[in-house]
Amino acid sequence: MRCEDISARLADDLAGTLGDDERNAMRQHIAGCPDCRRQTQGLDVLWRALEDIPVAAPDSRALRARLDAAILREQAPARPTAPRAQPRQQWLMAAGLAGVALLAGLFAGRASVSPPASPDVVALRDELRDLRHMVALSLMQQQSASERLKGVGWSTRLEGPSDEVVTALIDTLRHDENVNVRLASIDALKRFAEREDVRRAAIDALQTQRAPLVQMALIDFVVETQDRDAAAALRRISADDKSDQTVRTRAAWGLEHLGV
Amino acid sequence: MNQTDEALMRAVREGDLSQLGRLFDRHHRAVYEFLVRTTGQRAVAEDLVQDVFERVLKHRATYRGESGFLPWLYRIACNARADHYRKLHPTTSWSEELDGEDESAGPERVLESASDAARLQRALLSLRPDKRELIVLARFSELKYESIAELHGVDVGTIKVRVHRALKELRDKFMALESTSHAM
Repeated sequence: MRCEDISARLADDLAGTLGDDERNAMRQHIAGCPDCRRQTQGLDVLWRALEDIPVAAPDSRALRARLDAAILREQAPARPTAPRAQPRQQWLMAAGLAGVALLAGLFAGRASVSPPASPDVVALRDELRDLRHMVALSLMQQQSASERLKGVGWSTRLEGPSDEVVTALIDTLRHDENVNVRLASIDALKRFAEREDVRRAAIDALQTQRAPLVQMALIDFVVETQDRDAAAALRRISADDKSDQTVRTRAAWGLEHLGV
Repeated sequence: MNQTDEALMRAVREGDLSQLGRLFDRHHRAVYEFLVRTTGQRAVAEDLVQDVFERVLKHRATYRGESGFLPWLYRIACNARADHYRKLHPTTSWSEELDGEDESAGPERVLESASDAARLQRALLSLRPDKRELIVLARFSELKYESIAELHGVDVGTIKVRVHRALKELRDKFMALESTSHAM
């Protein structure tokens, strides 16, 4: 064996892939070669000692949760553009708004002169409610963020909003690109905090939303609704050093207030 | 059924993103160990693990699989680590990115300790990053020399020689630190 072969043999020996014959030949060479002895002395001990350097375990659960959130973001379809109001829908919405105003005027007039339970008044009230639903849903699909904000606002004035409206609010929370609209949707959803789908949506959003303002509002939401199912998500945020420090502090505050 | 890494990654590439979770469960600890041993900082290593798997997700369409999943994964890990330090020190070249980093050590870095392990860690962290990376890959990763050679774009004989040289330098630095501590 020559001196220039020693490096490769030594690397194989350390990796445990050197055969017995080759190892014996290498050792024989090193024993008789002062230079190679100098070049290799103590390296096997050092190689084993590397194992002794302590390594703190990673927070695997938090890392996995962050990856799952990234996968969810990747899987989430882009907010569809088609449902955004087209010119015809915009015309319908304008008609709806005018109808709401007209019916509201009529309703106010009738209400002031008729007993409240008359069939006409009930019918008018139903018309008005349906129109308000339609207007709220249409506004939430507008291209303009300020119009969508109005739509979320309309939804808060609805009496007994339909599942469709609640679903639209959840969709807005999940996908609207505008922070202010998402924040307004959180406020609007507070009315429906007893619903399982709303609470679940809030917890999901806690794990996927990245805007600090939205995260703070969601933390307040789960604290106000005393949703202890949010504890795990809050713990992850409070331990996540990629999160905004204010949000982490708020998440820790949330955990305290949930008493978990 | 226990699917191979390559089969899982192909599934991810074809759109079954849930399989990335299985690859994460199998390999995130090894990737983390590689990163924490080469950066010396747990928080940085955890962030980089996150970055690595998000890069896998983002660049899944580029996975070809000719050289297996692990070399591809570790190439991403090496790039993520290099990019991280490039952002911190934009004017330094990759090969000298961490020279002298002991002076900027964070609280998690063990610098002053009487134990041999701490001194060895200090010696390892004082090596040039490419040498440190090579030692950690050879000692702790699941990659064989052939894959490490492919990762670095050199032949396997060259990698073995480089491992030997890096170890000699580590030994010399370790001995120098030992004599310094005895002199104090």
